[in-house]
Amino acid sequence: MYRVICITTLLLGNALLTGCANLGVDPWDRDLLARPDMEMVSDPMEAGLDAHIYFSKEASSGGEGFAGGGCGCN
Amino acid sequence: MQLKKKLNLRTSLAAATCSLLGASPVAKVLAEEATPWVIDTAALYYGEQDGRVQDISANFLANKELRYGQFLNLSLAIDTLTGATPNGAKPATNTAQTFTTPSGNSSFTTPAGDLPLDDTFHDTRVALGVSWQQPVGDVSTLDIGTTLSKEFDYQHIGINASFSRDFFQRNTTVTAGFAFASDSIDPEGGAPIPLAPMRGIDDDTSKLGDDDKEIIDLLIGVTQVINRRMLVQLNYTYSDASGYLNDPYKIVSVLDATGEPVPTIGPAPQIPSHQFLYESRPDSRTKHSIFAKTKYRFDNSTLSASYRYMTDDWEIDSHTFDFRYRWDMNRYNYIEPHLRFYTQSAADFYTLALNDGTPLPQYASADYRLGEFDGITIGAKYGHQMKNGDEWSTRLEYYTTTGKGVSSTDYPDLDAIIFQVSYRLKIGD
Amino acid sequence: MASPCELLTDVDNKTKAEELLSIVATEAWRIESKFSRYLDGNIIHKITNSNGLAVSVDEETAQLIDFSTTLYELTEGGFDITSGILRKVWSFKGKNKIPSNAAVTKILNSVGWDKANWDSPALTLKPGMQLDFGGIGKEYAVDRAGQLANTITDASCLINFGGDLLVTRPRKDGKAWSVGIEQPDTLTGSATRLIMLQQGGLATSGDTKRYILKDGKRYGHILDARTGWPIEDAPPTVTVAADTCIEAGMLTTIAMLHGPEAIEFLEAQEVRYWCG
Repeated sequence: MYRVICITTLLLGNALLTGCANLGVDPWDRDLLARPDMEMVSDPMEAGLDAHIYFSKEASSGGEGFAGGGCGCN
Repeated sequence: MQLKKKLNLRTSLAAATCSLLGASPVAKVLAEEATPWVIDTAALYYGEQDGRVQDISANFLANKELRYGQFLNLSLAIDTLTGATPNGAKPATNTAQTFTTPSGNSSFTTPAGDLPLDDTFHDTRVALGVSWQQPVGDVSTLDIGTTLSKEFDYQHIGINASFSRDFFQRNTTVTAGFAFASDSIDPEGGAPIPLAPMRGIDDDTSKLGDDDKEIIDLLIGVTQVINRRMLVQLNYTYSDASGYLNDPYKIVSVLDATGEPVPTIGPAPQIPSHQFLYESRPDSRTKHSIFAKTKYRFDNSTLSASYRYMTDDWEIDSHTFDFRYRWDMNRYNYIEPHLRFYTQSAADFYTLALNDGTPLPQYASADYRLGEFDGITIGAKYGHQMKNGDEWSTRLEYYTTTGKGVSSTDYPDLDAIIFQVSYRLKIGD
Repeated sequence: MASPCELLTDVDNKTKAEELLSIVATEAWRIESKFSRYLDGNIIHKITNSNGLAVSVDEETAQLIDFSTTLYELTEGGFDITSGILRKVWSFKGKNKIPSNAAVTKILNSVGWDKANWDSPALTLKPGMQLDFGGIGKEYAVDRAGQLANTITDASCLINFGGDLLVTRPRKDGKAWSVGIEQPDTLTGSATRLIMLQQGGLATSGDTKRYILKDGKRYGHILDARTGWPIEDAPPTVTVAADTCIEAGMLTTIAMLHGPEAIEFLEAQEVRYWCG
């Protein structure tokens, strides 16, 4: 079972990386991507505050990055 | 061109320049980039309905590029929490219920039919964070950080590190990271023995001292540029928490055959009035999360959409959908509506209450945050950039949760307002 | 030079400042007229019209030619002072036209330092070839002007000829000169960065605005003398700080010639650079 998982992960990873090789843009076409609002986390302050709120009220946390620090609220 | 040959190019160039200009020795260049401190400040208000939890916080983030690609990030948050929170006991239709406060010094009474709420929480929390980002070679980045927080009954220390590498002309980025946290809990009155009964005033038989928990998170992710307008990210996170995972202030009601709480034995008025047992959760929890996010830039707007699936060994599954659409009204103003959907299934040891007569389970919790519920957040943010480059923004959101498979009188639904005002300034520019 | 030139200086009296300005401006005009391809009678004109015969050049021109020869060798032909003639088929001023392969091949017959005979002080070019110091002229003028300024004052001078700069020496109060460069900064979201230059040269190569867009392909305006075509996949713009303006300028040019490996090259040379 463990071997199957290993091989599948390697194959998937390889397919992903090969697929990735064909996507993308040339360096001079990164104008839109360089915009601050196109960062994956464009507002770290808001993201951190929301993560804290939902960590306190729900049973899930994180996923996008590290939750950044615990508290006694859950 | 061969790169290795050219390592002496600068020397040859300097020699040729010397011959041309006829000057020797030439003074050495002194040049450094002046980068500003980018400071984000935010005041946040979170308020639930009916006198329940209210949180006001002041938050600061400071970021500066020190040398090319090296960033220092500092954060500070100060939080004050007030208001009442459900203590896990089930509302009783026919009788008032009296509880001992967590400190054991006094008691409070909830009228018949009402949701039992404990409003002895007035806590202030301070959280600090420091992180450092550093390029490694041409195509990699290293990020390391530490977080600390302290509140009256809780302390957190954490470290985190992640490594990213770019491929295919920076179109693909692979990131691997880990975080480790060591938290210690020193609850008011002491950490209760799981499933021990709530005792009377000044009786700490059911309480122990303090306890701790450790959390390890491992993350692996890929970010891919799809085209000039679009990015996609996919992450897998593994999380393992072990130690004291109970909420020390939450109890579980014990009900008789008619569904009413079982009174405590002894001459009236007895405090507590009925049988309440402190909750019990397993001492370990393993979570797996898959997270996918995409960002798409239109001509005057940016769409952000993400999905997260979480599953753990407490039998909780959750799905989170998050959508933001930032519309740039003009160069200086934008408005960003936000919609979030959340749903979770209950932990396998979650219960509204225990039944007198049936054997005690090993684990039981009536904490509504481990139950089955749906949540919706709807809101909007408005931002304005000033001529000097500073920016302010404000957002107002409404967050509501509804229990599933339970009546709303038994399960504490949530109606909360989130209001934030932020200001970003640059110093040293 | 057709670019704005300015002198900033830290002297405390107006007479001195005017004297400096006069020296710097005179040197700029002197070098410009000597090496301009638009003026009759100067050395460039003589060489262009030499029609295959040897031309004897003066000491300054000979030194520039020696320098260019070294650069030709260091860049394996990428930098070539006979490549100026390529401007006849490449125009980067608004028309999105690229020349045909035939046109480029034809004009390449008149390009190539290997086709020239340099036996100092005698220069012999094939008929039809031209000499163009456009790639180093401005930076050279900046460094020369800096040397002259240093002979009459020990105050700090910032000489800026159209974006190629030199700061002759640190200012007396220790503060640096603030120079703004156009390089996008994703962190602050602004299009300019601030460089604190206390001493040394600063030059920028490439141009985010001057390029040709045709059939989805972007042609930058730095031409590779060996192929006659623009360098592919080079960063849109590169700024370098070095001991002299010439070195800064040459490093940006050589970086651009490396195309997609421009950043690797700059890292290997351990120079201070900023890239778009």
